[in-house]
Amino acid sequence: MVKQELHLELLLGKQVFALNGKAIGRIEEVRTELRKGECFVVAFLVGTYAVLERLSSWRLGRAILGLFGSTIKTGYNVQWDKIDFADPERLKLICKVDELLPLELE
Amino acid sequence: MDLVRDCLDKQLVDRNGHNMGRVDGVVLQLEKGKQPIVAFVEVGPVCQAERLHRSLGRVAKAISRRVGVAQQDPFRIPWSKLVAAGIEVIADVDAEETPALAWELWLRKKIIGRIPGA
Amino acid sequence: MKKIFEIALGIVTSVGGFLEIGSITTAAQAGAGFGYQLLWAILLGGLCVIFLVEQAGRLSAVSGHTIPGAIRERFGLNYFAVLFVVLGLVTLLVLGAEIGGVCIAMELATGIGFQWWALPIAFLIWLIIWKGTFGIIEKGVSFLGLVTLCFVVGAFLFNPPWTNVAAGALPALPAHDKAHYWFVAVSILGASISPYLFFFYSAGAIEDKWDESYIGVNRVIAAGGMSFGTLISVSVLILAAVILLPRGIQVEHYSQLPMLLVPVFGRSGFWLFVASLTIACLGAAMEITLEIAYLTAQGFGWNWSENQRPKEEARFSLVYTIAILVGALIVVTGIDPLQLTILSMVLTAATLPISIVPFLVLMNDKYYVEEHGNGWFSNTVLCLIIAVALLVTLVAIPLQIFGGS
Repeated sequence: MVKQELHLELLLGKQVFALNGKAIGRIEEVRTELRKGECFVVAFLVGTYAVLERLSSWRLGRAILGLFGSTIKTGYNVQWDKIDFADPERLKLICKVDELLPLELE
Repeated sequence: MDLVRDCLDKQLVDRNGHNMGRVDGVVLQLEKGKQPIVAFVEVGPVCQAERLHRSLGRVAKAISRRVGVAQQDPFRIPWSKLVAAGIEVIADVDAEETPALAWELWLRKKIIGRIPGA
Repeated sequence: MKKIFEIALGIVTSVGGFLEIGSITTAAQAGAGFGYQLLWAILLGGLCVIFLVEQAGRLSAVSGHTIPGAIRERFGLNYFAVLFVVLGLVTLLVLGAEIGGVCIAMELATGIGFQWWALPIAFLIWLIIWKGTFGIIEKGVSFLGLVTLCFVVGAFLFNPPWTNVAAGALPALPAHDKAHYWFVAVSILGASISPYLFFFYSAGAIEDKWDESYIGVNRVIAAGGMSFGTLISVSVLILAAVILLPRGIQVEHYSQLPMLLVPVFGRSGFWLFVASLTIACLGAAMEITLEIAYLTAQGFGWNWSENQRPKEEARFSLVYTIAILVGALIVVTGIDPLQLTILSMVLTAATLPISIVPFLVLMNDKYYVEEHGNGWFSNTVLCLIIAVALLVTLVAIPLQIFGGS
């Protein structure tokens, strides 16, 4: 089986697009779980910042916006099998946005 | 475990507690139909340059090949050898035996170590 | 008992390390040009630095991270790279100014041109860092730096009109030379709120193995040390206002500065000034050199510590060696040290937001500060400091063009 390699640090901040071509947010975090000595990717956390989208292309920007909690930041918890990584520069959902879990803010 | 918060850019130390750089990259391995896994972490200036800009990565790779002291840049550590532990990520390796400290050792031997009082 | 001793030591080392060429020059220019009217800028700068130093110390004590390390981890390599390049370049200029300050002191003392002293002084700085430990450098030079208290003694002996002095604590529009007034205000802020101060303090907290139990100690040292240091800057301003302003002497050359102490102490005043300038700038140069090396090593995850042997941390040692050399070469070029000082202070002020904005996130992130994060008061003050820093960034370069000397 062909194995594809993805660099997390290059994925960070990349926009994720819905089936209709609209951007739903940027990849902020990758959640994993440890099982039998391996680290499995569980979900990709995608954050949305609406009008302050430009600022969120930087990690510092996302961090500052995050200070304002749920008034500005919303997002999605996208399960590992719901994103198409065929083109790492243009990440696409393979399900409808309604099927995604909301991001739980700490 | 959250990879960005708990792994990426964190201080990397070896089994003896010596600093060996920071986690500059995390490599995920995808296989069709299977859950992705974290395969390696990467350390090294080439990885850093790549993050800043793709063209910088190409330049860094070219320089590394020409004058590089490390046989492998970026240096990859398999996930199986890592423990993410709070403030640091600990690797079950001896840093001086890996390319991660190639420049440090070269400088120690050729320049800094030769100055009196080092 | 041990903690009380540490507090006293901490305050002394903060005082000794606070005054340097930037604060002396900018305070003297302020006093000579505008009397007591710019006192508020020194006080504002001092207040800002108290809060920033306290927060830097608290972050390191609780999290075990240094500031550069925390910034790299929390905001990624890209932001750290911007911080590294900008702060690195500006700090090298400041280092050049500090080495220049020592060289000027040597020129005043011996008559031999300041450029000739650059490489020998650079070698001395390098040797102390190469052979010394963090403790020796921090404490040794800082104890010697107490000689700068002569400015405070001088200011009190002159017995200035204290009501006029107090009036200067409130910002007021100048009667003349508005652009130059605000330019000097900006340069004072750059001299007071130097990122190297709180970055070095954070590294020191790690070198001295501070933990959560040092939070109270940290608060006292930050407030006490920086207040005392601010007092010395205020004293320089007062002396310049009392001695230089009435004579219409603008500070345009270093040879004018010893005049601040001669009327009070006579001939000894000249030598007191030379000693003060030498020790203050030497101490600052060492701190700045180490800070450049800390920034690099901590950001990239290398071995770093002033308490280790140089060959255990070859890259760290190489960075500070190169930094000292670059600083010295800047002086060797013969650029007027006064101009270099003012330029480096203005650039420091202009680039403050890059170093300060991350505090807003880090000091509220439980991952780093646990339950010792900022309360509403500290956050409000921090936001105001950031607002001032952003305003300064906007006006610094235009002021340099229109209001600079």
